[in-house]
This record gives sequence, structure tokens and C-alpha cells, in this order.
Amino acid sequence: MPGMTITEKIMAQQSGRDSVRPAELVWTDIYTVMTMDYLGKQTFTALHELGKTEVFDKDRVICVSDHLVPPPTAQFATMLNEWREVVREHNITHFYDLGKQGIAHQIMVEQGHVLPGTVSIGTDSHANTYGAVGAVGNAVSVSDAAVAMAIGKCWFRVPESVKFHITGTWQPYVMGKDLSLHIMGMMHWNGHLIYKTLEFEGPAIHALSMAGRMTLCNMTVDLGAKNGIVAPDEVTKEYLKGRAKGDWSMIASDADAHYDAVYEVDVTNIGPTVAMPDKLDDIAPIEKVVGTKFNKAFVGTCTNGRLEDIAMIAKILEGKQVHRDVNFLLVPASTQVYLDALKAGYITTLVEAGVAVDTPSCAACAGIHTGVAGDGDIVLSAGNRNMKGRMGSKNAQIYLSSPAVVAASALTGVISDPREL
Amino acid sequence: MAHIQRGKAWVSEKYVYAFDIIIQKFWTSAIDPAENAKWVMAGVDEQFNAENAFKNEGYTFIVAGHNFAGGGKSIEHVVTGMMGAGIQAVFADSFSRLQFRNATNYGLPFITCKDIVKHVKTGDELEFNPDTGIIKNLTTGFEAQALPVAPFVAEIASSGGLMEFIKRKIADGTAKDLR
Ligand code: SF4
Repeated sequence: MPGMTITEKIMAQQSGRDSVRPAELVWTDIYTVMTMDYLGKQTFTALHELGKTEVFDKDRVICVSDHLVPPPTAQFATMLNEWREVVREHNITHFYDLGKQGIAHQIMVEQGHVLPGTVSIGTDSHANTYGAVGAVGNAVSVSDAAVAMAIGKCWFRVPESVKFHITGTWQPYVMGKDLSLHIMGMMHWNGHLIYKTLEFEGPAIHALSMAGRMTLCNMTVDLGAKNGIVAPDEVTKEYLKGRAKGDWSMIASDADAHYDAVYEVDVTNIGPTVAMPDKLDDIAPIEKVVGTKFNKAFVGTCTNGRLEDIAMIAKILEGKQVHRDVNFLLVPASTQVYLDALKAGYITTLVEAGVAVDTPSCAACAGIHTGVAGDGDIVLSAGNRNMKGRMGSKNAQIYLSSPAVVAASALTGVISDPREL
Repeated sequence: MAHIQRGKAWVSEKYVYAFDIIIQKFWTSAIDPAENAKWVMAGVDEQFNAENAFKNEGYTFIVAGHNFAGGGKSIEHVVTGMMGAGIQAVFADSFSRLQFRNATNYGLPFITCKDIVKHVKTGDELEFNPDTGIIKNLTTGFEAQALPVAPFVAEIASSGGLMEFIKRKIADGTAKDLR
């Protein structure tokens, strides 16, 4: 039998098979199902349509408030109230509501709800973030999530695998986000990664923190792929210690596994990288955009709202002031991240530097909450999407970069290279 | 199990976007295969921009290149519209993930078959065996091997969709056997 990739192995194991082939359809066991304030009520309604009033395992259906908290409008407040009621009705063990809230994908990984070698799903497009700990993470529709809530299973098309072998040494101020954006520019969004899983491996991946791995896997959906995965290693073991809500074991691709394509990237050559407004694959090395004026800086989201990201911007802004023409908003990805950043003193540093800090949520990322963009705004964001109108007004422009670039630029009011501070 | 399907193919050499299969003014219509079929493909080609224009051609299969039904729209009318127009399977190099899941959840096989678009012309007569995955072009003699269709896809189709299918499986206690 030919070897299998980590994703093929997980799908085989979780569907009770010896092996699977790409393009095959299989039903796998689901370790956890995530749903959130925005679509959660609908998901429970669909569960009832299946004739079920109880979920398959109340410890493994994870409910999170992230898109709408704290509610900015009466309509959202009402939606949240209905959502709370439905979660309570179903006696869900893990409900991360306002006060314990965070962006669902951050919560899923940080609170140990996803484990290596298993399959977890969520009713939001960035559920592929779970690949960071060696899980298969997939975004699904409300009906698929309801089915999984009912029977603990979901069907999948086994994806073709594409390998990114990442070597070299990370340069100072260069982050996982820069690698993501670099790959974006390298591949272009031309459809050839559709339905594929991207496997990241190699020495520079082993050297990457869990936060960086989450950024990398998070953005695979924006690359047009199905998801991304990093096989568990020592970093994963360390990260999951005291966190994992369940047992797990190591799993890796076979040496003779088949890949649709293999790409080599040497991070030694990657510097800070920026995505130009409107098109995610219109990528420029920072040298080409240095000096570009902007007026809003945003760090947060399921892509870059983690402790490591906040530590980076605090390091850059410590003892300095945000430029008077820039509004800088930081929204930590979860309550845990917020608390850790407070304890480490980062929040004090940032507030002193003139950064506004808001309670964890998706914030302005999807243009429906805190800090949305208006006409004429030019936003430098550490988020994941920059299409027209994404953060609010269609007449705003969004540049995407790492938190390090956002912070360095916030000091000068124009896009700046953090390596030249 | 599903039976062998035979019929005429419609081939698109261009990208086919979900928002062209069902144009914007029908995005909010009710899900109803007969209704959704009336204007299916209206945005893909001018010749189909008339009531029942695509349906009246009597195609059984669609053949396309990459990213069939792509463009990020998750509307289910795309799938029910094609089914209502008599489409029994779609063969393409790749599919949008959103619409692949919708199609499977309604029981319409979306079959990945590399380069098939190079070997079929609109109007060619095709034969497809869901059990073996063999696609034959009866007009030219060309034959391609795709993966067989998972048996549950036909079962979903005969149940009228994923939700009904699962409801029955829960009721008769066989949901746990799905794999
Ligand atoms: S932070 Fe943005 S991309 Fe992430 S889940 Fe929230 S809205 Fe979606």
C-alpha cells in the first residue's frame, strides 16, 4: 500500500478505514463541533429539524460569542439573547459568552478543544485554523454542523495534499503572517489549490510558534485551499500540555506519501510582506510600499490577535507614541489572550503609547462591529481579508500585513519597515 | 444502487461561476427544483437567458474545467436549479468547495475528472456508471476513469436531501454506521 499524508491518515482513522484516496467521500467521526453567535441559533434549529433535541455530546459541542459581542445594536443584542437561551436549553458545557468570550477559532485551539489526529468543524470559514495542532479543521454549513451535532459525524471529500517545505532562518520582525502573504503572492488565487489541503513542514516550521502556525493555517482558506495542517511536534506537545481536553497521540505523513505538488520556500529570504488593497494575492515586499500613507491601524482577528502578536507590537511601541494621524485599535483574540497581555504589562505599554484596546471579538474584521472603516479610510490591518467593503465602507482601502508592520507604521503614519526602526 | 446514466452533455470551456448559474434576482427565491431550473445558467451564456432555455436543451451532464460553480456564493439554488433542469452529474477538473458540499447534500454527483473538458463537445452523448466511475463518450469512443460515486450520494438524492437522509438514519438507528 502506498504511503499516506497526515490528512489521509486522519481521515482513514476517523472513518474506520485502512486507507483513503483523494477525492473519495467518507463519513468521519467529529471530535468537536463549533458554532457561534451569528449562526448558532440556526444550527440548533436545524438540529431540531432532524428530530433531535439533544446534541451527541454536550462536552464536544463548543459554543462561542464572537461576532456580535458586546452587541453594538439592538438587533444584535436580541440575536445574542436568543442565542444564549438556545445554548442554555441544550445544556452545553463549554459556552464562551461575554466575559469569557473570544474569537471562536482562537478559543477552540487555546482551550484545548482540538486535538492532533482528529477532525473538528465549525460554522465559520476560518475553522481551518485547527490544522495548527495537527487536526483536520473544516468550515461547514449550518446543516452539516447540525448533522454533526446530532450524530457526531460529517462527510468529507478526502483532499489532495500539497506540501510546503519551509527551510531557513526567520529574520527579526518577520512573522508567520509574512510567510502566509508570501505564499499568497507566490501561488496567486488562480484556483489550483481548490479543495486541497496544504501541509506545512520543514525546519522553519518546527521553529515556528503555535501562534505563527495558527496564522499560517488560518489563511489557507483565503488562498483558496480547503485547509492547512502542521503535524504535531515538540512545540505542539508543549502547547497542549495542561490544555488538551482529551488524549491524543503523535501522527505524521509517511515518507512515501503522495503530494499533488511540493513547493520549497526559504524563509531566510522573506522580509515583511504586504497585501495591497482589494486583492489578497496582490502582494508586495515592504520595500515597494514603504511611505504609503494610512490613517487606521488594526491588530486583532483570528489571524493575528494572539499574545505573541501583542508582545511584538508592545516591543515596537514601548516608550513611544502612535503618530497623531493614526487611530490604532487592538482587539485581543480572546479573554485569555487579553488577560495574559495585561499580566505581561503589554496592555499598559500599548495604552500609554496611544493604542485603543477593546474587549475580545471579531471587531471590525467583517465590517459589522467595533472600529469599522468609513469612506476614505486607509486601513493597515493584521487581519485576513481586504476585499472592497470588508471592514465597512466600499470606499475604504485595506492593506494587510503582520502586526510588526502595523506597529512600526503606526509610529510614522506611513507604511514602514520594522527592521529599520 | 444507482443505475447507469446516459444522455447529452453541455460543455463549458470558460469558468462557470455560481452567481452566473443562478443570477442575482433569483438568490432569494424558494428552493424548488422546477422553479429554480427555469432560469438556470441565465448568466453563463446569453442563449440561456430565457425561461427554460437551458432546461429545454435536455442535457443530462455538465462538463467543465476548474473551479466549477466557484465565486464564493453558497446559494443552494445553483444545485437544485441544475437538478430541476435534468442534470444527473457534473464532471470537472475541480469544484468550488461550497457548491461541492451543496451538490452532495442534495445528491447530485460532482465528479472530479482531470482534463475531461478536452474530450467532450456540447451535444456529445455520454454514459456514466456511478458504481465504477467510468465515463464514456459514446460519440467519440473516449473513456475516462473517475472515482466511483459514494453510495450515500444516491441515497441522499432519493431521500430528497441530507437532512431527510439523516433524519431517516437517526430514526432507524443506522446513523452510527455511516462511514
Ligand atoms: S476574526 Fe474575522 S475572519 Fe476571523 S472569525 Fe472573526 S470575522 Fe471571521
